[in-house]
Amino acid sequence: EDKSANVASSQIFHSDGGEMEPETMEIKSVSEYFTKMHMGPVMSRQ
Amino acid sequence: MEVSCLELALEGERLCKVGDYRAGVSFFEAAIQVGTEDLQVLSAIYSQLGNAYFHLHDYAKALEFHRHDLTLTTIGDLIGEAKASGNLGNTLKVLGRFDEAIVCCQRHLDIARDINDKVGQARALYNFGNVYHAKGKSICWSGAEPGDFPEEVMEALGKAAEYYGNLAIVKELGDRAAQGRTYGNLGNTHYLLGNFRKAVSSHEQRLLIAKEFGDRSAERRAYCNLGNAFIFLGEFEVAAEHYRTLQLARQLKDRAVEAQACYSLGNTYTLLQDYERAIDYHLKHLIIAQDLNDIGEGRACWSLGNAHTALGNHDQAMHFAEKHLEICRETGDRSGELTARM
Repeated sequence: EDKSANVASSQIFHSDGGEMEPETMEIKSVSEYFTKMHMGPVMSRQ
Repeated sequence: MEVSCLELALEGERLCKVGDYRAGVSFFEAAIQVGTEDLQVLSAIYSQLGNAYFHLHDYAKALEFHRHDLTLTTIGDLIGEAKASGNLGNTLKVLGRFDEAIVCCQRHLDIARDINDKVGQARALYNFGNVYHAKGKSICWSGAEPGDFPEEVMEALGKAAEYYGNLAIVKELGDRAAQGRTYGNLGNTHYLLGNFRKAVSSHEQRLLIAKEFGDRSAERRAYCNLGNAFIFLGEFEVAAEHYRTLQLARQLKDRAVEAQACYSLGNTYTLLQDYERAIDYHLKHLIIAQDLNDIGEGRACWSLGNAHTALGNHDQAMHFAEKHLEICRETGDRSGELTARM
């Protein structure tokens, strides 16, 4: 690709190769588990 | 009245959800002290403790708890194992242990494929991309220009770009937030590979999605990354337009980011040979750097010295050059000291 010849940009732009997007961490929810635990018997009674 | 492990864990979870990770950690640790025989609850506590420490940048602790979680879930609970592997992979990546991170990402991906979990597959591929991107950057960064890295680096970055092919899955799922993240990191990968037009195209997509969500931080990131790509394309005026992050950074009340935006704008106007405006932005950068007691102070003085030299203001140029030298001596920056002496 084209690139300007007169730019030594890493010398003056201290961009660290771009700002990254956040990591996606997996969630194990206690409240969801709790709800499931309590709703399970209710649902099975219906 | 005695508080149960579950109650403490629920409070820890609530605190982490609102971003108070420090308090969340206290509740989760108290929950562990009380103890439970329910392995699912214990796994969730370990996992969330790991995530809380991750967000607090205490990666050694994050690693410890994600390891505990994985040990607990390895037998029988495939979804739990996939999640633990994903989190462990992300943590190992940040710690620079890329080979181990890759093993975890692969396990995450394998399980997601086995149970036909498309969301899990897309997330595992995104994590994979992030690991290869970080690996590429870690091998050789300083000194070289994007696109001119050694083969090993280009190979890792090429793999990252391949894994960001998870875009096809997240498009199919209609998950715009995940598309935004992937476009952002794909843009950064193309930037390092020297594919600046492709980088621009990815970051433009990222910007569009950030605006859809009203995500100001992502918007600012996209503008900044677009500015950097346009600099390498030699389109300095367009770059300056994109460094409008200055305004966004002020709204976000992030002084360090505002300083970075001022510095980028100062450099862009230097490239445009508009030294008066360059000085204006470098001075703004200097003031914020001084307030923050930031290492950028030396850089600001060096830039100001150069801009004043270009304008023939020799006294001012000398003043900033001396100040730069003084800061380099104070901070023990040997290479900066050599530059200052020149």
